[in-house]
Amino acid sequence: MTAVAKALPGRRSLRAWIPAGRVALAVAFFALWQMGSEMLGKEWLPGPVLTCERIWSLVMTGQLARDTLVTFGEAALGMAIGGIGGALLPFLLRLSPRLMKALEPFLMAAFGVPKLALAPLFILWLGIGMPTKVVFVASIVFFLMFYNGMAGVLSIDPRLVAMARVAGAKHWVISREIVWNTTMPFLFAGLKIALPRSLSGAVVGEFIAADAGLGWYINNSRSLNDTTGVLAGVVVVTTLVILVNAALQKTQVRALAWRPMSRDMTI
Amino acid sequence: MNAASPTLEVRSLAKRFPPRNGQAEAPWILADLDFSVATDEFLTMVGPSGAGKTTLLNIIAQVDAASGGEITFRGEAMNPVSGTLKPGWGCQIGYVTQDDNLLPWRTLIDNVTFPLRVQGRLDDAAMERVTTLMRTVNLVGFERYYPHELSGGMRKRASLIRTLAYDPPIILMDEPFGAVDAQTRTALQQDLLRLWNLGRKTIIFVTHDIGEAIALGDRCLVLSRSPAKVVAEHRITIKRPRDLSNVYKLEGFGDLYELVRKELL
Amino acid sequence: MNLRLTTDRIVIFVVLIAFWQLCSLEFGQHWFSSPLKFVDKFVELGLNGEIVFHMTYTVKAAIFGFLVGGIPGALLPFVLRRLPVVNAILDPYFIAGYGVPKLALAPLFVLWFGIDLEPKVALVASIVSFLVFFSTMAGVQSVNAQFVSMARVAGANESHIARHIVWPGAIPYSFAGFRIAAPYSIGAAVVGELISSNRGLGYMIQAGATDFDTTTVFVSLGTLTMIVVLVNICVAHAERWLLRWRPRTGAGAAWVPGA
Repeated sequence: MTAVAKALPGRRSLRAWIPAGRVALAVAFFALWQMGSEMLGKEWLPGPVLTCERIWSLVMTGQLARDTLVTFGEAALGMAIGGIGGALLPFLLRLSPRLMKALEPFLMAAFGVPKLALAPLFILWLGIGMPTKVVFVASIVFFLMFYNGMAGVLSIDPRLVAMARVAGAKHWVISREIVWNTTMPFLFAGLKIALPRSLSGAVVGEFIAADAGLGWYINNSRSLNDTTGVLAGVVVVTTLVILVNAALQKTQVRALAWRPMSRDMTI
Repeated sequence: MNAASPTLEVRSLAKRFPPRNGQAEAPWILADLDFSVATDEFLTMVGPSGAGKTTLLNIIAQVDAASGGEITFRGEAMNPVSGTLKPGWGCQIGYVTQDDNLLPWRTLIDNVTFPLRVQGRLDDAAMERVTTLMRTVNLVGFERYYPHELSGGMRKRASLIRTLAYDPPIILMDEPFGAVDAQTRTALQQDLLRLWNLGRKTIIFVTHDIGEAIALGDRCLVLSRSPAKVVAEHRITIKRPRDLSNVYKLEGFGDLYELVRKELL
Repeated sequence: MNLRLTTDRIVIFVVLIAFWQLCSLEFGQHWFSSPLKFVDKFVELGLNGEIVFHMTYTVKAAIFGFLVGGIPGALLPFVLRRLPVVNAILDPYFIAGYGVPKLALAPLFVLWFGIDLEPKVALVASIVSFLVFFSTMAGVQSVNAQFVSMARVAGANESHIARHIVWPGAIPYSFAGFRIAAPYSIGAAVVGELISSNRGLGYMIQAGATDFDTTTVFVSLGTLTMIVVLVNICVAHAERWLLRWRPRTGAGAAWVPGA
């Protein structure tokens, strides 16, 4: 039974409105921002012009570069540590289904705890330097990669494994062919989420414990009631995260070309 | 057809879908399709798979538009080519599809009464009719079950009586019994005839199974391959009520079967 | 639940506690507190009402934010379904908005809304709204066209279709969004409190850390974990009831941790 004809914007006339509409929306957004700033005062809502000026001055003094580097460094290191650990553990756990089942409630509890709630503990143990943030980011990334890796490992089709065994494949061949190929898309999905999260995780970690970095700059501005600084910092962080997301989107399409389009709802 | 005024008349119906990328022109699915159906007639249509039978029914039910031709329903022009679609033509054309399309989140009884409910016609008389229908097809006792808890045959029956419950004057059926096993199919066919006897109405029943077409219908049309058109018409003289376990042995069945089979080649 | 599984889990629990006690002995109670001190403090703070006081604050922020963010987030896709052009225009902005790390906005919210409940509610709402919106959207877009067709033939109008076909079909998706958002709400409320608050479990953690009172930190963390586990259990039960019309497929019933 064919689908009922819906009034989709398939007609040329309507379709043309879409890019125009988007541009109009963007313009309206900035206009509203500026107007809001004038109405509410620049201590409360600095306008787009003011914010850009601040960002520019940060670039000029080199502070933006310094802070960005710090934050990126924490994110990258945490990503590496947490990512590798989180990705490997499912493969190890797979070898003992009994252990997996027994650990389930503990893992569920650990998942639910917001990692930032552990931050003060990390500060207590490690101080407010780089290690704290790295551990914090690593904890976020670890759970993300573990969750995805686990989903991948659990989705391995036992019939494929049985078929391979019957055909005489050794254990490591099965691992390579079936386990790895089945899990890879899941790990990719995890990476895709983890990368921007590691960045925002570093920033948020710096709210609580830092003396440098983009997050530190934002929170510091807040404590000085410097709204312009806060907004400038937020804009920079947001832009960076969006750029990272966009870059990932492009790479994923190429790497997973062999898959039929998945409907995975990566939240 | 020599009926005074047929319920449904199809003239020169034609249909093709928009061309795909790289195609100069799309092939015609239906072309020059002519037939009519009389009131209270059980018309069966046989055609090879992929011949466009579903497309034809979609057009009649106003679910899809045609590329050419006319359709008249009870004297009223349906404008299948131009004009906006009116699915079901104001609840006058029922449509039993190949998939049962029961709403999985509703119980059996809610599914069966769904059309009556949205039409605002669920009164005591309607409920009585529903109960009778449920009894006829042996679904009594399963009212509160969800579709996934029912067998394929039961879901088919539910889909059937869902349409019969709101009593549209004409019902289209698209290979409704194709996806069940042979025994269930015979039982369903018997159920359908029993239901049809309860209240005669016009039915257009499309199938690829020659035996089914002959066993069920008053008249059988044979469709060609794409582009589909009516290539033959047979009046089926086997007396009603028909016993489906025996109809295959009756005089004339075998010859007609052979005839139709040759026409389909 | 079978006996072997339960014993396995008890064993793991005992191992964890023992490990904790070991760390405590090895590195000093100052850094790690200890299981015994934990229990002591837990009872003390439980009895004098402190835990309940702070817990209520955090949970309140989480619930308010969950509703303020979740309800519009769940309803918007149904509205946008009828306005496909508007939807197409807004789409990239929604995706960009989703990409913005909401927790990074926490200081901004604190600056704007003060240090009481409001910034936490705003933070939670901003996170929950996007999660619920995208999941519900996926559900609305996955509506089975055959069902819609069937309903139209049977005489349903747009309102019927929205109510009887789109809405029930989208609920599982919407609910998945709610399920994921639930623990996030608690987490976001705590984050808000860590940045600036004088009440709540996040405050308890922060204050404990500042005072070098590791035990209080662990007690607050423990309470937090318990709340999260409870929320997960409730949500799982709600889902089972709400989706009782669904067949329990063997493969799908597997791994669904809270985060």
